[in-house]
Order: sequence, then C-alpha cells, then structure tokens
Amino acid sequence: MNPGQPPKQPIPGVKHVIAVASGKGGVGKSTVAANLALALRMTGQAVGLMDADIYGPSVPIMFGLGTVDPQTTPFPLHKHGLRLMSMGFMVDPNQAVIWRGPKVAQAVQAFLNQIPWGPLDYLIIDLPPGTGDAQLTLSQSAPLTGAVIVTTPQDVSLIDARKGVRMFQEVRVPVLGVIENMSYFVGDDGKRYDIFGAGGGQKLAAEVGVPFLGELPIDPRVAQCGDSGEPIVRKYPDSPVAQAYLALASTVMATAGQSPGEALPEVQL
Amino acid sequence: MPGVVRPVSLKREGDGLKIEWNDGVTTFTTWRQLRANCPCASCIEDRAKPPDPFRVLTPQEVAAGAPEPVQMKPVGFYAYQITWNDGHSTGIYPVDKLRQLSKEIQ
Repeated sequence: MNPGQPPKQPIPGVKHVIAVASGKGGVGKSTVAANLALALRMTGQAVGLMDADIYGPSVPIMFGLGTVDPQTTPFPLHKHGLRLMSMGFMVDPNQAVIWRGPKVAQAVQAFLNQIPWGPLDYLIIDLPPGTGDAQLTLSQSAPLTGAVIVTTPQDVSLIDARKGVRMFQEVRVPVLGVIENMSYFVGDDGKRYDIFGAGGGQKLAAEVGVPFLGELPIDPRVAQCGDSGEPIVRKYPDSPVAQAYLALASTVMATAGQSPGEALPEVQL
Repeated sequence: MPGVVRPVSLKREGDGLKIEWNDGVTTFTTWRQLRANCPCASCIEDRAKPPDPFRVLTPQEVAAGAPEPVQMKPVGFYAYQITWNDGHSTGIYPVDKLRQLSKEIQ
C-alpha cells in the first residue's frame, strides 16, 4: 500500500466483489471472467466486469467495443446487460501501455473507486497474470468476497496457479475454488480427449484445500465468440461449455454468500 | 476463513499494544519492538547493514522521541499499517507478524 492510499472501503452499491485470477498467463482468465459475468447476468443478477489487466486488456474485444472518448461517454460502458470498465476503452489497441507498477496500482484504484459501479450484485474482476501490483492493490483496497483461480490441467500451469492461491491465502482473501479450463475435447467420434492431461485442477484444489469448481471443455467456438464480441454463454447458451459456466455461476453464488472476507477490527489508540 | 487466527480487539496499553485474539489468547508488545521490526523494504535493508556508530539522528527523529503510533489502520483482511510519530509509515504488519512479535499475557 502506498502512503496516502485510501483504505479499503466498500464499493458503494456493490454486494460481492469476485476476482478471477491465476498465476499463469494464457489459461483463459479473461474468457472465464467474461463468461462467468454473463452467466451470472443470465441468472438475473446485476453484474459488472472490471478488466484489471492494464497492460493487456481483453474486455473490449470480447464485448465488441473499442476506445471511447471519456469526455463524452461516461464509464462504465454497458453491453449485453453488463457494466464494463477496461483500460482498453481509453487506449488505442495499437498503442502499448508502458507503465511502472505504481501507475498500475493507481489505475486499478481509480477503476475501483472512481467508476460509479453500483447498484450491483456482483463485480467480477479480471486480473492480469502473476502476483504483483494489480493483485496486491486489489487485496489491500477492495473488499473482496473471494477469488476464483483459473488453471489448465498441465503442471506448468499448476505451478503458477498454486502461487496465485498462496498469495490470496497470505492476504487472507477467501479462495472460492479452482476452475480448470481447457480440460478436455470431445471429438466428432464422441470420445473425450485429455489434450493437456487430466485431473490437474482437482489435484491443485485438493492440495491447497479449496473446492474444485469444475472442468470447462475445449470448444473452438469459445475463441470465435470471444473474438467476435459475444461470449459463448450468450451466443450458444445450450453448448456444454455454456452449461459448465452456468453451473460455475450457481456455485459462485452459493459460495459467495457463505464466505465473505472478514474485516479486521479498528485499533483503539 | 475458518481456523485462521485473527485479532478480535487491539488497544493501546501503556507503551505498547494489547491484542485479544479469536483463539482466546491475549498478547502484548511494545511500540519500540514494533518499530524496531518494521517490515518495510527500507527498514529491512537498514537492519541488514552493519550498524553505523556515527549515524546522526534526523531532527524529526529527535523531536519524535520514543516511537509512538499516530495512526494504525487495517489493510485488506490481513495486515495493519502503522504511521509513526517520526513520519515513517511504509510498514505493513501482517496479522501473523503482529502475533509473532507479541508475548502472551494473562
């Protein structure tokens, strides 16, 4: 926490703040965050999605949005019934955000505190990979209900996801569970192929003592939908992947109600 | 989070801090002890250096006298940030560290 940084306080009108994280990049955090947010929306919740990946924002492309003029367009933006905020709404996609850590912390802080999010049942935060500035700022200044850890089945992903879980445990943010993405592929022959191995997510969840939230199968339409601005949960709600996301949403709703992070008492000086 | 030791109340008592914990234990530690174990990066670095016998106290340190907190605020769900009377405020004390730096009292 930087000196002078505002203390952790509830985000006005937001009931639950859920971080979607992983130590590793490329496991599908943004895809999971976008689809989870939409799945929650489809169950009738008021949902926001905050893209905390300052260097590599994905929310604009996944929702078919581009840059806007902040002078004329108020944030958060609205699409598919969600309220959205991303660095990608302000910076041209061809331009790199070349910032040191403190600026990232500042941007995350501004997204949390200066965007009129409420009223919302859930604010989903799509985190960048790693256990650095964005994650720490969030743990210190957002009243997180919990974190969902995304991994893929292979060891090279699990090793980093484990670090992600450890970080949240260290800063005492409840880990709602581990979700395994790209778990398997069902071929035209109806057979299941474990392309990246099997059982990794379950193994990690058991090892760190958190619930296993399920497996998300590989479906080429996930990527197509993401690129075309309408995530799969909305475009093909009957597909097995969408069904898995809807199941994830109900688990998240059930666990979020039970495990709020416990605020520390004030000191009497 | 079940099974995690956390403070129930923290109170200034004399020259230190009395903490009641959720496992029924009450502990005490002096401000001096907390200041001497500040977990911020620059204090850790200073402690790793050999002591400088010719170090001159800054006017602020002289004016401050014995370490006293001006403010102590919760940070997230896991730590407290102390602002000291000499202006130093970058130390964030995780709850586990506070427990480790404290002694059990009756």
